[in-house]
Amino acid sequence: MRDFPPQIRAYTDRGAEAPDTRSPRAFLWWMVRQNGVLFWAGLLAALVWMVPQTVGPWMVGKAIDTGIVAGDPAATMQWVLALAVVTLFGACSGIIFHTIIVREWLIALYGTTKLVTRKALQLGHVLTRRTPTGEVLSVSGSDGDQFGALMEISTRAISQLAAYLVVAAIVLGTSVRMGVLVLVSAPLLVVLGTPLLRPMQRWQGVERSRNSELTSMATDIVGGLRILRGIGGEETFGGNYAGQSQRVRQSGVSAGRWLAAVESVGVLLSGGFVVALMWLGTREVAQGQLTVGQLVSFLGYGLFLIQPMRTFVEFAQKWTRSVVSARKAVAVLSQRPPWVHPDEPAVLDTSAEIVDGESGATIRPGILTMVVSAVPDDSAALADRIGRYLHSDEGALVSDEIPEELKGRAARRERSARTRAREEQARRDEERARQPWGVTVGGIDLSRVELDDVRRHILVSDTSPQVFAGSLRSAVDPLGRLTREQAELALHTAAADDVFDALPGGWQGELEERGRGLSGGQRQRLVLMRALAADPDVLVLVEPTSAVDAHTEARIAGRLGAHRAGRTTVVMTASPLLLHHADEVILLEGGVATAHGRHADLLADSPAYRSVVVRGGDAGPSVLSHLAEESR
Amino acid sequence: MSRADSTVATDAAGVTRAEWVSPLPEQLAAESARTWESGSHAPAVPEELRPSESASPGERISALHRRHLLRERRAQEFVADTMNARTGLPIADNARVVRFIGGLLSQERVLVVAVILANALAATAGLLVPRLLGELVDSTVADVEAGRVDAALAGANSAALVVAGLVVVQSAFTFAAKMSSTVLGQSVLATAREYVVRAILRLPLSRVESASSGDLVTRVTRDVGTMSESVRWALPEAIIASITVVLTLVAMVSNSPILSLPSIVLMALALFQVRRYLGRAPKGYLTEGGTYSRINTTLTETVEGARTVEALGLTGHRLHRGDDDIEVSGQAERYTMTLRNLLFAVMDVAFSLPRVLVLLLGAIGYAQGWATLGQITTAILYTEALWGPFDMLVHTVDRVQVGIASTTRLLGIATVPPDREAGDGRPAGPELVGTDLRYAYRTGHDVLHGIDLDLSTGERLAIVGPSGSGKSTLGRLLSGIHGPRTGSVTVGGVELTSLPLDQLRTEVALVTQEHHVFIGSVRDNVVLAREGSTDDEVREALRAVDALDWVERLPEGLDTKLGSGHQVLTPGRAQQIALARLILADPHTIVLDEATSLIDPRTARHLEGSMNALLTGRTVVAIAHRLHTAHDADRIAVVIGGRVAELGSHDELVDQDGEYAALWRAWTS
Repeated sequence: MRDFPPQIRAYTDRGAEAPDTRSPRAFLWWMVRQNGVLFWAGLLAALVWMVPQTVGPWMVGKAIDTGIVAGDPAATMQWVLALAVVTLFGACSGIIFHTIIVREWLIALYGTTKLVTRKALQLGHVLTRRTPTGEVLSVSGSDGDQFGALMEISTRAISQLAAYLVVAAIVLGTSVRMGVLVLVSAPLLVVLGTPLLRPMQRWQGVERSRNSELTSMATDIVGGLRILRGIGGEETFGGNYAGQSQRVRQSGVSAGRWLAAVESVGVLLSGGFVVALMWLGTREVAQGQLTVGQLVSFLGYGLFLIQPMRTFVEFAQKWTRSVVSARKAVAVLSQRPPWVHPDEPAVLDTSAEIVDGESGATIRPGILTMVVSAVPDDSAALADRIGRYLHSDEGALVSDEIPEELKGRAARRERSARTRAREEQARRDEERARQPWGVTVGGIDLSRVELDDVRRHILVSDTSPQVFAGSLRSAVDPLGRLTREQAELALHTAAADDVFDALPGGWQGELEERGRGLSGGQRQRLVLMRALAADPDVLVLVEPTSAVDAHTEARIAGRLGAHRAGRTTVVMTASPLLLHHADEVILLEGGVATAHGRHADLLADSPAYRSVVVRGGDAGPSVLSHLAEESR
Repeated sequence: MSRADSTVATDAAGVTRAEWVSPLPEQLAAESARTWESGSHAPAVPEELRPSESASPGERISALHRRHLLRERRAQEFVADTMNARTGLPIADNARVVRFIGGLLSQERVLVVAVILANALAATAGLLVPRLLGELVDSTVADVEAGRVDAALAGANSAALVVAGLVVVQSAFTFAAKMSSTVLGQSVLATAREYVVRAILRLPLSRVESASSGDLVTRVTRDVGTMSESVRWALPEAIIASITVVLTLVAMVSNSPILSLPSIVLMALALFQVRRYLGRAPKGYLTEGGTYSRINTTLTETVEGARTVEALGLTGHRLHRGDDDIEVSGQAERYTMTLRNLLFAVMDVAFSLPRVLVLLLGAIGYAQGWATLGQITTAILYTEALWGPFDMLVHTVDRVQVGIASTTRLLGIATVPPDREAGDGRPAGPELVGTDLRYAYRTGHDVLHGIDLDLSTGERLAIVGPSGSGKSTLGRLLSGIHGPRTGSVTVGGVELTSLPLDQLRTEVALVTQEHHVFIGSVRDNVVLAREGSTDDEVREALRAVDALDWVERLPEGLDTKLGSGHQVLTPGRAQQIALARLILADPHTIVLDEATSLIDPRTARHLEGSMNALLTGRTVVAIAHRLHTAHDADRIAVVIGGRVAELGSHDELVDQDGEYAALWRAWTS
């Protein structure tokens, strides 16, 4: 039988079964099927668990009629013993039921997290261009939990449906009128109870989304606390938080009002059912059609049956929410990587020239090339092209969250517009990924090479790289391939001595998530150290020292060339301290390579180059320049 | 500094250990050699926690017991680890939390009374029904035996009417009870979380500047979440459940003291196991919650860093990490599952067996004449009714305990003592003077060694120096974030740290992390610098940095909501907003730290005008890492190793031919 955590191979192993994402319902059904035998075992335990409650009142009735009223102690003992056996049996099966349900729940929850993790890894940078991170995460967390809840409630609902039918049959066997009452009342109660669920769920949804905004605001305040305490704004943002907190409270109270209504109507309806049962039963006893014991057992059933009726309403509620969750999960999991495997994969020859068609830039192999651009985005785009990354501006994020004001038809319209936008986005990406890429290495277009092969040989370290939590060693050497010597060399070249010093415990020192706790300059050098340590054939660094002070930058500049000697290195920068050490410099103007040569020669010959490098450009204007000029 | 030989550098893999000379300074190289190997590669989940495949049932049970104890120890370790204040902010004690919640409840006295009353009445109405049913059984039996069919039918009618009335009453009070407890829970929760955020906004300046925000982020997300669940749901439900349990017991005893014995005795016995459970469960649930936020953190890093993962080929690594987190979480779940199973084993028996015993006792009582059929019926119905609320009580009490644990961490924020006391002195002028400045983050490790610096009004001073030289610390002292260990920083003759915060902000501003755009309107984002400014003043500040045009073109102008999840600004515009804040704050001295990215190279060139507007007429200290910033300053201070090594104008320093001159040559050659 399956146990948690489940083994999931979808998306990462080629040929492994992927979830059914054709529709939300298909996905939910796939989730249930995943449990296999476990689901039936859970159902069986739940059915056994129901037995004492279904036959218990009947046994009590028998004990009263044949034992107590008839004054037959032997018969009484017989029924009491039978009841004891059934009761203990049920108590034991409760533990089994609980154990299996926890398993099913966690298989669904952990399975969802694993699916999302694998999907994110399969899609890579494509996913974050399309879907807001928060929505991807909530599929793994709250939606996964919802699927777990669905496993539990469906098992319970099915077993209680069975119990309900058994009870109806028992009652029907004694009194037709009362049996019909039992049979009719449950559907009636569910039908009467459900209309209240819609406004309740709507308000609960509003409360959830307002609350997540509230959490964002708190995180935002913490993130900007330096400004709030340094410059001011405690009142404004404390006030904004309090305002949102009150809006959450209001929606919570509104949701609570409907919940209270649901509960109180539940009491009213089930109470009405008990009254009807009692009235009919007593009359039948009075008319001699029913024994006292039977009446007592029917009254017991009356109280018991409230439970299945509530369960059915709960099921209706959780089912709706699960379908919503499944829609969100499908929106993430149904995305496909835009890349296609080339029919006849070519081999990447990194000892050859790299030519970028769009800019006309040529990167010669084995040397340190630097690219200068007046517009930094142009050089960043060039780096993306060399590394075969879809440029981040091409697709805008499409969120699945729709504003809370939209209801009914407007909401549905908005939702289908979002779906179309997502499809359009996927189509655009696929189109771009399938065309010839426009960058050739040794005359071979990158689209003819397996993407994995490109990634293995060409490393692009972009401007917003992620630093992962873990030890410093695992940050520099995540795959555990380095010798200490190699790591020390990378540390030295990146002039990251102070990063090493900042963490107690040296290589084993722990970095916080996203490298929080390090300064911008320290993080940048950590990333540089990691890129150098990976030691790729072709290394592309985008503004690797923009947050580093001049002293340290000068040190890095002096060491980089020697570290990468003999291998192709491209650095996007406009810092003279770095450019000074380049074997070749390429100047981009309007995204097109207009000049190349040594730094000193370009400085002497190209006014355009001079204007970018000496003042402004990547290095930014001096904050003091204008004033200094004015004051002189 | 020893330098790596370039041939060594190019083929490091081929170099053997014997001839290896580390390029690092001696001390660092030693530390590197010492810490490279981690010593142990413990798996995420120890082998002992995995059940063995084949064993006899006896062995299996004792193995399960061992695993359970090990998991219990892991939960204790986790809680001990997260619940100590080692990593950052302090943690309050339980007594403080109880006082705090008590205080909040006493502010809502009327509501508390309403909750208790409404619940008591709803429960009483509900509990009268089985009693009436029992009496109906008795009267019907008596009528039938006496042959009074009409009376029996009339009894049925009137009883039905009474019970129907009770049901209506119960339904109405249920509504009132649920409603009032929601209102109570929501309002206590809102007050509590607003209190916490206010406490965060009062944290001392020095604490905010030096501490990492990780701990605080966990507190405002995870701990507020746990507290919410506890206050909003568990606390009211616990109140309701305990009222219902008590009233049900009262109803049982008043129906028949003897027939209530099975329930009371078995419940008392069960309480031992319940106490055991409640002693352990909170730690189990805290651990569980911790493992889920770990899963979430890892996944966040994986998704946000998708490109980095792809670039460095870390797919397998991240996959493994995520699966490890889930393994660990699975163990925490197994622990609480076993705890619950142990509880259920006792509770299920304790609450289902009384029915059997009541029937048995009832049979005896009926035979001996001290119990009627109606009393037996009522007693059985009551034993069934007790289970639900008691079960709810146990499960809400454990949630409340978890909530209290989280609340201790939240209230801890409010216990951080202030770092300064405002004095009475008011500056006589704008001159900033620092004398004999020393500062240490760790006792005994001064990062500044006696710096003297005075700024004349309107001067532009650039501070340059390698990272770790203390220039950022100097910037913090000059802007009054930290007080110096020795020496003083004064403005117009008054110590900076003795000024009230409002006053300090109009004297000196430290410009760091300026790209942060808050969730809030454009107005909020600017007005924060001088709260209470009019819209005209805000517009004026925006105009001064050339931002008014595009702000007015935004969909809702000044009211447009910015920040994460709303209108996105380009980095350049975000920086204009930041500059507008400073224009509005209007300090006479500005300390600019370039390293903390005020100047994003991508946008800087569009900002010259905006920057110009800000700096005109102010004294500026620029912690520069771009040399042309230094070049343009009136004076340059080269800070090395916590001392001012060189001080003078650009030309003077170039003539001196020291550190600065060397750097300048490298820059311009």
